[in-house]
Order: sequence, then C-alpha cells, then structure tokens
Amino acid sequence: MEQTSLEVMFGGQGGDGSLTTGDAIAAIFKRCGLAVYTYKDFPSRIRGGHTNYVIRAGSEPDYGLADAVDALVAFDLEAVTAHIDELRPGGFVIFDTSSEALPARLRRPDVHWHEFPLARIAKDELGREIVRNTIALGAFAALAGIDPKIVRDEIRRTYERKGETIVELNLRAVDAGERVVAQAHAQPEQRLAPLPIEDGRLMMLGNDAIAFGALVAGCRFMAGYPITPATDILEWMARELPGVGGVVVQAEDELAAINMILGAAFAGARAMTATSGPGQALMTEAIGLAGVLEIPVVVIECARAGPSTGMPTKTEQSALNHLIYSGHGEIPRVVLAPGTVRESFELTVDAFNLAERYQLPVFVLTEQALCQSKSTVTLPDLDAVAVERGKLIAGGSVTFGDYQRFAPADDGVSPRVLPGVPGGMHLAAGAEHDPAGVVSENAANRKRLMEKRMRKLESMRDELPRPIVHGVADADIAIIGYGSNRGPIAEAVDRLCGSGVPVRFLQLRTLWPFPDGDIRSFVRGAQHVFVVENTFTGQLEALVRGVVGPLDILHGVRKYDGRPFRPIEIVDPIVRLTHAGELAAVQS
Amino acid sequence: MTAARVPTAKDYATETAAWWCPGCGDYGVLSALKSALAGLAIAPENIAFVAGIGCSGKIAGYLHSYAFHGAHGRALPVATGVKLANRALTVIAAGGDGDGYAIGAGHFVHTVRRNPDITYIVMDNQTYGLTKGQSSPTSAGGYVTSTSPAGNPDNPLNGLALALAAGATFLARGFAAQPKALVALMTAAIAHRGFSIVEVMSPCVTFNKHNTYAWFRENVYDIAERDGYAPTDRGAAFDALTRDGAIPLGIIYRENRPTFEDRCALPDLPIAQLDLRSCAREYAAIARDYR
Repeated sequence: MEQTSLEVMFGGQGGDGSLTTGDAIAAIFKRCGLAVYTYKDFPSRIRGGHTNYVIRAGSEPDYGLADAVDALVAFDLEAVTAHIDELRPGGFVIFDTSSEALPARLRRPDVHWHEFPLARIAKDELGREIVRNTIALGAFAALAGIDPKIVRDEIRRTYERKGETIVELNLRAVDAGERVVAQAHAQPEQRLAPLPIEDGRLMMLGNDAIAFGALVAGCRFMAGYPITPATDILEWMARELPGVGGVVVQAEDELAAINMILGAAFAGARAMTATSGPGQALMTEAIGLAGVLEIPVVVIECARAGPSTGMPTKTEQSALNHLIYSGHGEIPRVVLAPGTVRESFELTVDAFNLAERYQLPVFVLTEQALCQSKSTVTLPDLDAVAVERGKLIAGGSVTFGDYQRFAPADDGVSPRVLPGVPGGMHLAAGAEHDPAGVVSENAANRKRLMEKRMRKLESMRDELPRPIVHGVADADIAIIGYGSNRGPIAEAVDRLCGSGVPVRFLQLRTLWPFPDGDIRSFVRGAQHVFVVENTFTGQLEALVRGVVGPLDILHGVRKYDGRPFRPIEIVDPIVRLTHAGELAAVQS
Repeated sequence: MTAARVPTAKDYATETAAWWCPGCGDYGVLSALKSALAGLAIAPENIAFVAGIGCSGKIAGYLHSYAFHGAHGRALPVATGVKLANRALTVIAAGGDGDGYAIGAGHFVHTVRRNPDITYIVMDNQTYGLTKGQSSPTSAGGYVTSTSPAGNPDNPLNGLALALAAGATFLARGFAAQPKALVALMTAAIAHRGFSIVEVMSPCVTFNKHNTYAWFRENVYDIAERDGYAPTDRGAAFDALTRDGAIPLGIIYRENRPTFEDRCALPDLPIAQLDLRSCAREYAAIARDYR
C-alpha cells in the first residue's frame, strides 16, 4: 500500500555510524520529494551507549515525529529491547543477527521480521565491517520500496569526498542489502508515494538555520562556550564567520562569552552567543547589565532537560521562566521561539533587528527536539533579508556636552554612539545613571530612567513576531503551544480537523513581552483550551492563566520525560476531555 | 581637544570629580594614566576604558573616554570584545586585586593566554575597600579583618607570577606614590603590542593599616637597578617575582608575540565598520551546501 508517511529508526551503539546512515536516508527521502524531520536520541557520551536516530518522511512539511515507528533497523539486541513497543502493528524490523540471536519473547507477532547477518556479510563479502550500515540501508530501501536509482545517487553524493574506492564499496554494500532482501523472497513492505521534487529545498538542523540566520542578519562576532545542544552554532560560526570578516571566540566560560559580546556590541558589532540551561544561568548577571546599559545582544538558548546537568541530550521547555524572569532588577527583554527550521532562520534575523532597534537583549529560545533535528526547508530570499540598525551613530561626530547617551525618548530608545566617534565620550555604567551616563541615585532620575527603559516593551509591540493560528479559527477546542511542539500539535490539529473535530491552534512565536492581547482574543469563545508544553509545572500555562484568569476550561498537556510529543499524545487527552470521540471517530 | 595642540592630562578629565578617600593611591593611578595618554596623544574618542567593581572600578567614571563600568570581575572579557570588534581603538581595562585576582581570576589567566592588544591596570591595595576592609587575594597571611578575625588563613596570590606562568608578554609593577615612574610604565604598557599588565601598589589609607605608604617605601626596589637584569629573561623575571623579601618595581618582563587579533586573522577594517549587506555571494555558497 502507498503511504503518505514513513518513520524509520536506526538503533545501535553510539559511534557505530547510525547517524551517518540516518543522514543518508534523510537525504534519500528528500530526493524523493518528501518532507523530512529527524530526531536524534543519543546518550551524553561519545562512544557506546544505546543511540537511535529517527527519520520521519511524509507529504506534509514541518511535522515532528509520527505516532509510531514504521520500521526499525536494529544493529543489536538492545535496540530491539528498547524500541520494539514503539513499532506500529504491521511495521517491520531489520535485525542484524551477526552476533546475537533474537529471543522469542521479543518477537512481536504483529510486526514483520527480516533477520540478516549484516555485519558478517560486510566482513566476509565486502571485507569491511564498517559498511554494515550501508548494507542495512540497501535492505531497508528495498523493503520500503524506494527507487534504487535515488538510493545510489545519494550514496555517491554522501561518499564522493572520500574518493571513488569508498563510493564503490558503499554502492556494493547497497547491492548486498538489496540482494539479501531478494534472496529471502521478501516483498516490499510498503511503497512511499514519491512527490514531485521541489528544487530549492534545503535540509538543515534548527541550529544550522539559527547560525545561518545570524550570519545573514549581519552577526560578525560570536563568543561561546561549548555546551550540548548549542555547540553546533559555535562550530558553524567558527567555520563561516572568518569568511565574511567576522570572528568567533571560544571563551573560558559563559561569563566571559556573554561579557565579550557585550563589549563587541558596545563597540558596534552585531554580536551573539549560544548556550543551554547551565550556561544560561551563568550569563544571568550580564543580561541585566545589557538591559541597563541598553546594549543590543542576541542570546540563543538551546534548551535541554534540567535542572543542573539534567539530561544534556534531551529536550525540554523548562528554560522559559529563566529567560523571562532571571536576574535581579528589572529590564526590558524579548524572547522569541521558532517552531520550524525556517522560523529558526527568520526569528534569528528578527532577533538582531529588534535587539539593535530597541537596544536590549533578545533571546531566541529553541529546544533540543528542534535545534538538533534536521528538516527539509525552503529559506526566505537571502537578498531580501533586512538589516535594521535603529538609532545608531556609527560615524561623523556629535557635540560633546549636548549628546546624551541615555536621552529621554518617546519610544524609550536613545541614539547610540559608537566608540571612535568624536564628542560621544560617556560612561556606560551598570550603576543607575542619568541621561548623560553619570552615576546617580536621585529618586526622580531613577524613576524616569526606569520608565524610559521599560517603555520599549510597549513601543515594540507591533513589531514583534505574531503568533500563527492553525486549524479552524472558530473551533470550540483550542490549543496553545510553541517551539518544537509546533510539529506534533499541527499534525494533531490536522488529524482532528480531518476527522470532523474542528480545532484551533495558536502557535506563539513571541513569548516575551507576553502576547496578552493575542491570547485573550484567541481563547474567546473556546469551550476547551489545552496548553501543550514540555514542563512539569506548566510554565506556559501559568503565563496564559495570568492573562485569562481562573478558567475551568484550561487544561495542561505536559510531557517532561525528555522526549518530544508524538501527535497521538496530544490527540488522546483532547478526545478524552472533550468527548470528541463521541462526535467522530478520530483516526490515528 | 583640538588636533592642533599637544594634549595634556587635563584633556582626559571628566566633569565628575574623582571620589576616593583623601590619600588613596587610586588618585595616583588616575593621574598617571591621564599623563600617559596625553604623552601618547591618543584622542579620548579612540579610547575604550573598561573597569570592574570596587573602589578601583570607579576610575571608569573619571577618565574622559568611552568608558564601560560593567559587572564585578568581568572587565577583561568586555575589553576583549571591544578590541576584537574595533581593533583601531586603544583599549584599557582597570580594576582592583579583588576584581582581577578573585572573582575575575579565570578571565585574567585566559586573557593573558590570548594576548589581545589591551592594557590592564591592576590597582592593588591588598584589601576590599568598598565593602570596608575584608581580606583580598593579595592580603598577607594573618591579616586580621572583619571576615578573618583570627587572621587571614589564605596565602596571598602572586598575580604577576601567575601571569608569567600563563604566558604574559608585558609585566610591570608600579607604586602610586612614584608618579613619574608610573607614567613611564603605563606609557610603555599602552605602547606594547599585546596584553600588558601594570600592577600598581595603591595603598588603602582607610582600611589597610599594614601595607601603608611607609611600608611600601621600605619594601620596594627598582628592578632596573639590579645588576644585569634583562626584562626579556623569563627565568630571571620569575625569580624576581617569586623571591621572598623586597618587591620589585619597573618593567619585569616583556616579549613580542603575535596578538589574539593577529592569530584570529582579523581584517584591518574593524569588524564594527564592515558593510553588513555585501556578502550575497558567500551566503549563496553556504546555502548550496545544504541542497
């Protein structure tokens, strides 16, 4: 039967090449014209430990994981033990029998088993055990009914850089994989309906899109300290920034990183850092400094499961309160949250423009399930990306004595002068200061300067990225969510709507200043409002309650086991609580 | 300041008067810094001056320049960011022994390793002045304070020896009561291409009754007067810095090494002045890699 969605999981030990093979499969799906989402579930170590890589392909872009795994490629027994329950009935397993036999208790009768000695074939027939993964890929492609030519083209592309010998070896491995399937007289399990290939689509990680967005937005200075899952951005910028005249500093810690970008931004560079929970905690003091000094900086938070070390390679949305409330004293700040790879690019561009136009720190909040996941994406026109630098005096001169760095302004934003401009000399002090920058504890001045800074939150309202409404706008059932949950929620909404249960979904993209007005008008008329988030305490729900007040119809749908939602985990509670199941049979 | 005349120290004064205790060594530091900048004729708009927190950190408000008074212990990372964003600026950082050697010690060591073209002035009074006299990383062992009533249990930190071990390229020590020598040290430090450290013995007349002006006069000596001392000899410098007894003043060590800016291959045009809209070709090439 032809499928519109296929999810395959490669499971094995860390460092055994599952990731490379998974990337190749993802690329093959992309060549088939399908939309792709990948999810890496790996332990926080380099070698060993069970790891799996899930590649989901389908006709609909920007979905996340499916309800269940269609195909499991298990390189060892542990992969079967850990994931056999995630397979949908009717799915299939490819199991490498080279070193372990499959115990009967694991042999689910409702899935199809394809058992081949993959590693042994690799060693005996091809002389290199390492190509076991490519043999598995060949077998999987044959069973999934993928066009063999596309598979070969992609294998060539993947290994081209390593030379013709390696390309040939891997092509022979694909042959071997197809052969074992044919010899076992196994019929293709399914046929993916290929789509017309869209030219111009790219495939990248959320982190790639953030880094690329920053570069195109004119970021020319980055300082950071390696931390999972944000390190990709530091590495990306280290590779690409020198090519456009910029620089990356690997700092001694996050305290240094954030203070370096404050210095660079003070001097006039578009500057950013990227970190995750533990690093974000260390940056807290300097974020307050950026607020009071009115210095534009962009801070990327790639959230992972906390607290403390938590689960470094797992996803969570518990950093939200930290970004919104952290710090002593009060400052204006912005928190943006992309929900797709394209939005990761776009909102990072917005972050730089907002930071500089309003002279404040802007956070881009993403999570492991989006930032370390690859998706197919069509980026916006790179030539049309706007670089808006706001009230900036970067050249010429000003009159010393007349110029005031923190001069009163209706929108709270005073012209910012860069070092080097004659006449603009002033003190930028973390201590409270007067409009000229002179340290002052005068009561009236304090009140005036505090109001000037905080006024920015109001003056920027109309320029903040707006939420997106998915589904049926006047449906009785409403969902609010953000970030990596955009994919599974959108799929749940599409499925419910398709089953005759209308649902509306408000995907928030600005989380601070909190979009009170959008929330208020969105919930109007709803009979049930579900807040979907990856937290234990319901951080987003508390923010929503702060706007709508005590509301019986508000329900939390929360997941905090470090894994992203599958759509069924959103559909189920909605159907249960709203008795929608009695209205229509919801197909999963 | 007009370009036509020779600048004087007064050109670097702010309208805000310095506000330390009468007799504080920090007055001497500020005065020497202004004279050094005047001597080098560096225009105030081309100076970025970054200070830490504490009595010493207040100096940021007293030098006519682009001054940055940030968080406690973080002057050096801020200064590094400023320098990398605009290498045409003269970047100077200043702070006390607590700011640089306690809360900021990590940054101190790593900035030394990087060797950016920045001058760092450590105003060492061997106590925490602004919080009223607790022991600092350079306080003598046994020093009795409100937080060490039984005497300071810690050994004092030898900041310059630490810097030398970390690969410093310019080390000097001055004394706030020797203004001429201090101007000369600061002038040489600012002129040095690389990370230059000037540690200034800057007595706290209010809280430190041990390391007084009189005590320093008895305990310091000019290293240039030592027979055959060459500030390019790393071993000799280490010996001078770690030998018990008298405190050496003067240029203790210097060497030429590529700066952080050199090693990062920064373009001559300051990053802050790059045209941010001129890289369409580079962007298109990057996008192609993701097809």
